[in-house]
Parts: sequence; structure tokens; C-alpha cells
Amino acid sequence: MSEEKKSIWQKIYSPMILSLAIRNLKLNKFRTILSMIGIVIGVFAICGMGMISAGFTEEMNSMISDTADTLTISPVGEKVIDGTTTTGFSAKDLRDIESAVKSVTKEYEFIPMYSSTKYIYIGKETTMASVSGMDANDLEKIATLIQGTLPRGSTNVVVGETFAEDNDLRIGSRMIMLNSGGQEVTSRVVGILEDTGVMTLGFSTSSAVVGSIEWYTGLVGDNHGLYDMVIVKAYDPTELTPIDDAIEKKMNGKEDKDSDDTVFILNSYEIMEIFDEIMSMSSIFTTIISGISLLVAAVAITNVMLMSVKERTREVGILRSIGTYRSQILQMFLYEAGLIGLIGAVAGTLLALTAAPIMLMAMIGSLDAMLSLSVLAYVPIGILIGLIVCLISGLYPAWKAANLNPVEAMSTD
Amino acid sequence: MNSIPVVELHDVSKIYPMPAGDVHALNHVNFSIQKGEFVAIMGPSGSGKSTLMNMIGCLDVPTSGEIKINGKSTSEMTDDELTLHRRETIGFIFQKFNLISLLTAYENVEYPLILKHGHKDDTTRTRDLLRMVGLTDGQMQHTPYELSGGQQQRVSIARALANDPTFLLCDEPTGNLDSKMSMQIMEILTDLHAQGRTVVMVTHDPKTAEYAERIVIIKDGEIVNE
Repeated sequence: MSEEKKSIWQKIYSPMILSLAIRNLKLNKFRTILSMIGIVIGVFAICGMGMISAGFTEEMNSMISDTADTLTISPVGEKVIDGTTTTGFSAKDLRDIESAVKSVTKEYEFIPMYSSTKYIYIGKETTMASVSGMDANDLEKIATLIQGTLPRGSTNVVVGETFAEDNDLRIGSRMIMLNSGGQEVTSRVVGILEDTGVMTLGFSTSSAVVGSIEWYTGLVGDNHGLYDMVIVKAYDPTELTPIDDAIEKKMNGKEDKDSDDTVFILNSYEIMEIFDEIMSMSSIFTTIISGISLLVAAVAITNVMLMSVKERTREVGILRSIGTYRSQILQMFLYEAGLIGLIGAVAGTLLALTAAPIMLMAMIGSLDAMLSLSVLAYVPIGILIGLIVCLISGLYPAWKAANLNPVEAMSTD
Repeated sequence: MNSIPVVELHDVSKIYPMPAGDVHALNHVNFSIQKGEFVAIMGPSGSGKSTLMNMIGCLDVPTSGEIKINGKSTSEMTDDELTLHRRETIGFIFQKFNLISLLTAYENVEYPLILKHGHKDDTTRTRDLLRMVGLTDGQMQHTPYELSGGQQQRVSIARALANDPTFLLCDEPTGNLDSKMSMQIMEILTDLHAQGRTVVMVTHDPKTAEYAERIVIIKDGEIVNE
């Protein structure tokens, strides 16, 4: 009497035992399908929520990462110049801010700019846009021109991609704005800027009309030479927070922000970190909620498998009596649980792959993130989770079956 | 030259602990079965013959004493070793046939061969065994529920012979059959014995026991007559 030597694969995979498991699942089709539905829902929840969350984060990150290297500094305090109360950065303010930047790094861009909102008349349509004035060379440092040339002179402007699409603007298009004296000023579009997206932290090109300082002051006035905003771009984004602190200290007299501040600083790097933290917390929360449904499915599978063991006690006794090892009985029930898990998880993942793009489209209007690694990773993750949960759920019933006494099992009706 | 007995029982006792007190199912049983014998173990209900069959069939172990199958003691065997013995040394034939309902007649007979070799039967052995016990090719593809009691017991005999066991262990093989079917089954067992097979049969039916060449009578867990 000798046992034929078996490879590890032969020990794990037994066609006959698998065939018995499949036949039993087919024999109890309705029960099998009900068990699978539990896993389908659980995996769909985990996988779907994960995909949506990862896709959303991916999309948001891609929207804000372009500007996650900037500080946007705005004036808070009021100034009285020539008897007029106004706000803005004077030449001295700009020197102070830049000296604070220099105290941290030498690798930076310092871009003072004018900014306000204006009604714009394009043909018969009227729309509102964010108009900015800055040096053309500075514009190049914080935005990308996808068409045309940079705006120079007193009539040329560039517009954001979305703004151009929404208003049917192209190179050479003209638009009219009213200047501070109420006279019509015609501007000509000479370039289109790449969209920085709705989540841009700082200077946004989405609905922007940007011209030279000459163009801006001709349209809005020079506000006594006070600039509306300063953008500081750091080549190393990790330097943004120290720069932020240095400016706060220099301009506000302290590092902490409060109501007495003379400048307000929007730190895109910190905001992105906070956003990432919120998204990861939200992802953990949704995973826990989804995990509960998978846990319910796992309990249901354990219950179904225990019922199956009870119903098939006699069969287990027969199999054991004619020479089936305990390990093979264990294998048979684990195959059943594994099959329920595998089929349920694949179905759940496919459902998630169908639902996630619909949800992402509705939430962010783009499917680009669906092809990202962080989203697609949920396909194998979902299948593995479903499979592992089912195998764990089936472990106790399988162990119970494997340890049945053959004589007692065979005497069961 | 004396050959090693197929089955040897030395002072075998089996005690089942019960709340109402220990039940002595077997009391110091001694006997052996030689190769080629056809032995009937007879006794009334509750005499201990099923317990004895379970011991000989490596389905249970004695509380004390020693059982040797082909000269090897089963007392020290692990569960896997006992399972291997059941698969390759013993061919079981049960009163209730005990076929696997999920499998066809052919697959039921092929199953022990797959357990032993790890792959499907690529010879004609399964088919030959089923033909030998009188099943047609069409009946081989039927599940147990689609076969009569007699046909199921024939499949059970074919399955018992699949791994060419040292001996056949039959537990009331005609207990669930009518007299005509019983006779046919006993004739198959007699033929197998005539071909040199060792057959051990547990029965309470004297007519069935008459087919055996040796009858062991057990009563209250003790062998009272041989």
C-alpha cells in the first residue's frame, strides 16, 4: 500500500473534489444564488465606493496639483490714499513680502497682479468674468498658453479654455467691457489658456480674461498703484509652508492667522494636504460602511455552509469511509465557499465597474480617473476581498465537516 | 509456510462511555480471518457485530486490545493512515449501498481510483467492473436515485473492488433487497470468493450467512461460537 507522491498543486487542486463542490452548488441553486447575492452586494459596495472615492480623489488631485505649488496672498487691511479708502499691496508691501520669501528660498517666482470681476459683452450675450492684469512674462510662469500668443499692449487679452468654449471665443474674437468711466472698451482675444480646473487654488484660468497691466489699468483704473494679489510660486512645494509662515510673521507680525491680519494667504500645498486627509478619512469611512455589508454576507455564508454540512453529513461519512482524507473534505467545502466568493466577487466587481463611471460622470463630469491605477486596483482588490471573506466564512463549517466521525455521520439520515 | 492473517483481533474491547454507565460493545474479542476466507459474522441486534465491523473496517479504534490488518496494527495509526487503509485495503459494501448521490454510477466506481491516483480512470477498469456486476453502459450514467436497490448494490460492489482491496467488508449486503435481488448479490459475492477474494460479511440473516464457509456468532460483545 503506497500513497502516490503529489505536488502542492495536486494537493490544492483536485478536479474530483471540485466537481463534487460544483455539483452540490448546482443542486442547491437557489440557496447558492442567495449566498452569492450577499457577496455581490458586499463587494459591489466596497469596490464601487472605493472606485468612486479613488476616482474622485484622483480627479481632484489632478485639478489642484498644477497649482499646489503656489501661495496666493491677498490684502486684508484697508488703506486711505488721497482721502480714498481702498485695499491692495503697495510697492513697500510687495518688497516686504518678497523679502520674507527670500528669507526661506531663492528658488521662487513672485507675481504681483491686478484682479477684479467685470461684465463682458460678447455679441448679444453678457457674461461675468474674472479679469486680471499682469506682466505677460509672469503669466507664462503660472499658466500655459495652448493657442495664440501672450497678451501685450492695451487691447489684447487671453482667455481661459472653458470661458472660450462657453462663449464661442477664438483667436481674433472681440469682446466689449465698460471702463471705470462707463465707456466701452473693445478687447481682442490673442490667446487661449489651458484650463486649470474649477478646484484651482489661487489663480484660475477657467473663467479668466487676462491682459497686460496697461490693458487692465486702462479698463479698471490703477487703484493708486495698489496690486490686488500676489502669487508666490515655489519650485519645491514643501517650502510653501515655511514661506507662508515667514510672510505671516513679516506682514501680520505673527505666524498664526487671526482677524487683525493685514494679509490673507491661501497655501495650496496645505489645502491639498487637508483635502487628501479628508478624502482618505472619507474613503476609510465608506470602506467601513461597505465592510459591514460584506460582514453580513460572510455571516450568511457561514450559516449556509453550516446548513450544507448538516444536510450532507451522511455523504461526508460515506466519502470518509471509502478513503477520502479529512483534508479533502475540508477542501470540498472550501471549494464551495470559494466558488460562491469568486463568482459573487467577480459579479460585484463588474457591477462596480459599471456603476462607478456613471457616478463619477455625475459627480465630476469626467471619466479620465476611471483608467487610473488607484481606481483599477479595486478590480483585483474586490475579487480578492470577496474570495478571502468567503473562504474565511467557510472555514469553520469545512473544519466541522472534516472532523465528523465517519460511523456517526453515515448513520445520519 | 503460514501466511499472515488478513484480519487479526487480539483481546479487543470497545467501551462507549454513556451518562447512564459505560456500554461494553465488545468484550475481549479474539479471532482472525485468513486470506481467501468467506466469513459471516452473525448476531442479533445490539450484539456488537456493527462495532466489530467498524473496527475491522478501520472506521473506529478499540478501547483496548489490538487489531492487525495485513499484519499491521491499527492502534497506532493516524487518521490519515486509517483512511489510506480504508481506501486501498478494504472494499466496503453497505446495507444502504451508500453511493454518493451527486455522482453517476460510473463516477461512484471511478471515485476511489481518482482518490488513489489523483486523476480520472484512463483505463477500462471502471467500465469492466460495472459490466462484471451486470450494469449496462446506459445504467452506468445514471445517478443512484435512477437505479433500483439491486443495481445500486451492484454499483457498490464494483466500487468496493475498484482499488483491488485485500478483503471485502459487507455490512448486511442484502438487508435492503428483496429475496431475488438478495440471491443475485450473494451469487456475485460467492463468485468473487471463488476467484480468491477474502469476504467478511456481517449479517443477522441465517440464509445469507449460509453462503459463507465460516460463521462467527457474536452475542453481548463476545464471540460465542465459531
